[in-house]
Amino acid sequence: MYFYLPIAEMSANIWVFLGMGAAVGFLSGVFGVGGGFLMTPLLIFSGIPPAVAVGTEAAQIVASSVSGAVAQYRRNNVDIKMGLVLLAGGMVGSIFGVQLVVFLRALGQYDLFVSLSYVTFLGAVGTLMMIESLNTMRQVRAGGSGSNRRSGQHNWIHGLPFKMRFHRSKLYISAIPPLVIGAFVGLLAAIMGVGGGFIMVPAMIYLLRMPTNVVVGTSLFQIVFVTALTTVLHATNNYTVDIVLALLLMVGGVIGAQFGTVAGQKLKGEQLRFLLAALVLLVCLRVAYGLIVTPNDLYSIAPVLAGGH
Amino acid sequence: MALTSTVQNAIATAQTVVKSSHSRAAVAFAATALALMWGIHPSPSLAQVYEVPPAVGPQSITDPATTTPSPPAQTAPARRSVNSETSASIEMDVSTRSVAVTSAFTGTAITVFGAIAGGDPTRLADASYDIVIIVEGTFTPLVVRRKSNVVGLWINTRSMQFETIPSYYTIASTRPLGKIAPRRVLRSNRIGFDHVQMRQSPKESRRIGPNEKAEFREAVIRVKQREGLYKEDNSGVTFIGKSLFRSEVRLPANVPVGPLATRAYLFKDGRLIAKSDQLVTMRREGFERFVHDLAFDRPLLYGLLTVFLAISAGLIASATFRSRRG
Repeated sequence: MYFYLPIAEMSANIWVFLGMGAAVGFLSGVFGVGGGFLMTPLLIFSGIPPAVAVGTEAAQIVASSVSGAVAQYRRNNVDIKMGLVLLAGGMVGSIFGVQLVVFLRALGQYDLFVSLSYVTFLGAVGTLMMIESLNTMRQVRAGGSGSNRRSGQHNWIHGLPFKMRFHRSKLYISAIPPLVIGAFVGLLAAIMGVGGGFIMVPAMIYLLRMPTNVVVGTSLFQIVFVTALTTVLHATNNYTVDIVLALLLMVGGVIGAQFGTVAGQKLKGEQLRFLLAALVLLVCLRVAYGLIVTPNDLYSIAPVLAGGH
Repeated sequence: MALTSTVQNAIATAQTVVKSSHSRAAVAFAATALALMWGIHPSPSLAQVYEVPPAVGPQSITDPATTTPSPPAQTAPARRSVNSETSASIEMDVSTRSVAVTSAFTGTAITVFGAIAGGDPTRLADASYDIVIIVEGTFTPLVVRRKSNVVGLWINTRSMQFETIPSYYTIASTRPLGKIAPRRVLRSNRIGFDHVQMRQSPKESRRIGPNEKAEFREAVIRVKQREGLYKEDNSGVTFIGKSLFRSEVRLPANVPVGPLATRAYLFKDGRLIAKSDQLVTMRREGFERFVHDLAFDRPLLYGLLTVFLAISAGLIASATFRSRRG
């Protein structure tokens, strides 16, 4: 069954995109991640223009994060004050990021920039996660407990000014690091079509040293609002949000995620991290492959962007 | 392929890590999703097609020689022009004068048909008349880019902007164009891929040398052909009997939405003796029109509506599944 996508301007088989939404939703349920880093490349590979893929995926992340954010809030796992600081940074990052997309599209370098961002961030995060999970697995096999998180140590972050008290996280730290982290994640959300949890969660744990029980809820809180803003900004600046495509991905995604969550509960933490790291590295390799392999045709055509309409 | 084996190795590694049968199913599912991702390549029919604001109105589609636009009225008769030298003329019409792009739009076909009127009966009999039919979309600006290898990466390095290029161009004829008329005649009527009108701004013309310009021009036609938007068919016009002719033009699903100018040319012995044209309107209808207009005319409202929809979808889903689990 085919449906003409109003913004992507192509006729799409709705089962393909529902299935894609379900597959990525399932994986994001298993691993507890947003899935933007999988969905955006998948959309681009299936012929959706990169800018439309990124704009539309922002809307889908809103849908997939909002239920998680509400659930975490009910369990009191959201540090609202920290979330608001991250959000303030995220909004600035998102506004700047969308303008950067406008600029790079006009220059003809947006596709390259998206690919390079994917290779860089997925490569780095995937490698670190892979090493960490392999180390943990080795320790578990050697009879260790598998969790030896250092805490209470002071690092350079504690020397920064503008200190704030975050009661829920039991932290008294400068507002600058969470603002910077939030802004960086907002920038990635606007450019790469991701929620940014894969950067924010490790940053909160290792840089801010937040307690792990509030990390996921607080990052989801930030992601919902930042991706909502990003969606609106892409719609008004780039006209690249396809509501029909977004709806197909949302419906597939929320159903897939329910089954994924159940499957994910059967796996151990370090196994999950190993598989997620493998997945992240595969996506990274696939994007890198597209950059280095000689294209079939060196030439490409694109419309001239004259401020939308 | 090396990368395929990388995927298989990774999946094999992943499977040895996971032991429970339930999660093996999960991994198989993940592997399928990845294989899908690896396999999917942008197919030409899905190639990216944005609509570009119609900088140039439909008037400019018509040939410089005949500056009057085609009559848009449904009841208007097909235009007809008679050459004074011979009595032969051409009458032409299109099966569908308006194409609606709805949610179910997967492309469509229009039939261009007509007749040679008042021709020399002996020439009609030995079929020495030739007919060329062109369907041309709106003229839009377009940028062509060329990639080069910069330290191992393929990066867009050169580009050229064309001010006007037909978004869609199909040409059908009774014989190969080279046998129908000399280049001079074909060029002055923009008949054939070699003569598709592609105008550059004077600044671009000065910046880009003639050789590179020719390469860019060829590239546009090649990419457009691959996308199914430019087509050439040497035997696409068929005669039914002695004077009736028809040609079927397939509009693919990715055809840029906008009016289509249809032109029919009658040639005899390498000379253009008559021509006729007709405008086919194409516009979005129903839901497609509503969504597209909202997205471009009220983008803020459209963005907020999308976010509202996303939040509702997320909350409804979590409420549904929570209540089901009890």
